[in-house]
Amino acid sequence: MQREEKQLETSLETLIAQVSDIKNSLVAFIHKLENEYERLTWPSVLDNFALLTGQLNTLNKVLKNEKMPLLKNQVIIPLLLSPDRDEEIMRLTEGRVPVFSHEVVPDHLRTKPDPEVEEQEKQLSSEAARITPEVAQKQVQSMNKLCNSLLEKIIKEERDSDVSSLRQNKQTYNPNDTNALVAAVAFGKGLSNRRPPGPGGPMGAGQTGASGMLPGAASMQQMSMPPNQQQHMAGVPMAQGGQPGKMPSSIKTNIKSASMHPYQR
Amino acid sequence: MEAPPVTTMPVTGGTINMMEYLLQGSILDQGLDSLLHRLRGLCDNMEPETFADHESVYLLKGQQASPFVLRARRPLDRPGSPWHLRYLGQPEAGDRSRHTLVRNCVDIATSEVLPEFLQEMGFRMDHEFIAKGHLFRKGVMKIAVFKVFRVLVAGTAEGAEPLSLSYLVELSVVAPAGQDSIADEVRSFAEQLKPLVQLEKIDPKRLM
Repeated sequence: MQREEKQLETSLETLIAQVSDIKNSLVAFIHKLENEYERLTWPSVLDNFALLTGQLNTLNKVLKNEKMPLLKNQVIIPLLLSPDRDEEIMRLTEGRVPVFSHEVVPDHLRTKPDPEVEEQEKQLSSEAARITPEVAQKQVQSMNKLCNSLLEKIIKEERDSDVSSLRQNKQTYNPNDTNALVAAVAFGKGLSNRRPPGPGGPMGAGQTGASGMLPGAASMQQMSMPPNQQQHMAGVPMAQGGQPGKMPSSIKTNIKSASMHPYQR
Repeated sequence: MEAPPVTTMPVTGGTINMMEYLLQGSILDQGLDSLLHRLRGLCDNMEPETFADHESVYLLKGQQASPFVLRARRPLDRPGSPWHLRYLGQPEAGDRSRHTLVRNCVDIATSEVLPEFLQEMGFRMDHEFIAKGHLFRKGVMKIAVFKVFRVLVAGTAEGAEPLSLSYLVELSVVAPAGQDSIADEVRSFAEQLKPLVQLEKIDPKRLM
């Protein structure tokens, strides 16, 4: 018996601590809402809600704990009613309840719903009792029908919005553009500077000409006809292409022919 | 004159052997705002950054079949900032199990005499473009959303005209070689941009 009482006491203490925690955070939140609403940000409001949710969850856990005695079975009886001002009660209730009199006790120790609520509930249950089981069944069916069609509508709406958003999203990129841009950045495809001769253009063309086809042709001729005169004769029609770039090539071939000479003879 | 001997392989060993993990995509102009909005939500909390760069691509033709390519970038919007010289290796697309394009890369900041220096070395400019857009960061990842402009007057940004009606989107990470787990990170971030942008590993060789 004593053990049970002790248990009740400790669990009540934890309950009171939890509830006062919740009360404090509520007070702080309300204070913020009333006084700092101008600079209150949405994330901090959400933080406050999260805090409250967490605290309510802990309270629920405490209530559902195995060690928590069945509070329903506890009875509270007002032992003393007095019309005089009670300082102790004032302190405990933070000034909300100044007296513990017959006027306020029914409100504060009430375990039933408010009279108006009780009245409404009574009306509803008497109405429910009046209808026959068949009518009730019919009403249940029509209710289910309504719910189902509503659900279908919602699902259909969701699917449609998915499809339409997909269709929209398809337009946010174009694979051809991706390829064009990647090619442009990677090796300059489609950038106008690439084809028309830029600063390096003609020089590059001249180089390939000089080191590629012309010297090869010239040295071929030289191999077959060593005399200088003939080389010149042959060189003229070749030069009909008429590049100034011919000059370095002929110098080059001359050097080559000079170095070739000893081996030929 | 013979071109100076250049190796097409980047310097390996030490701290220079860095790889770039890259995914690319594009977004149409009308979708840009929603993409930027999403990136602002996903990326590190920072002031939205914009950039305007002028990139010139230089080639050096050596004995090798493929020329040696260097990229020189200068910021148009920040006068006085250093130039950025970049070497990019051949991209490896790898197989399906690899989630990003991987290529060797070397980045160096240089002074503004870079173009003359490169030209003296025998490089010649192959092409140039202007890139203007927005930059985001998410941890080590870099997300660049930019428009590519065609340069009409060589060497200047004036009169540049946009290449297409889309912005190029590049998601990249530069990391020491062998950190393939980063590729997964890049891929999962790319997933979050779908279906707004489809970021893929695009092998530029395929587009040649």
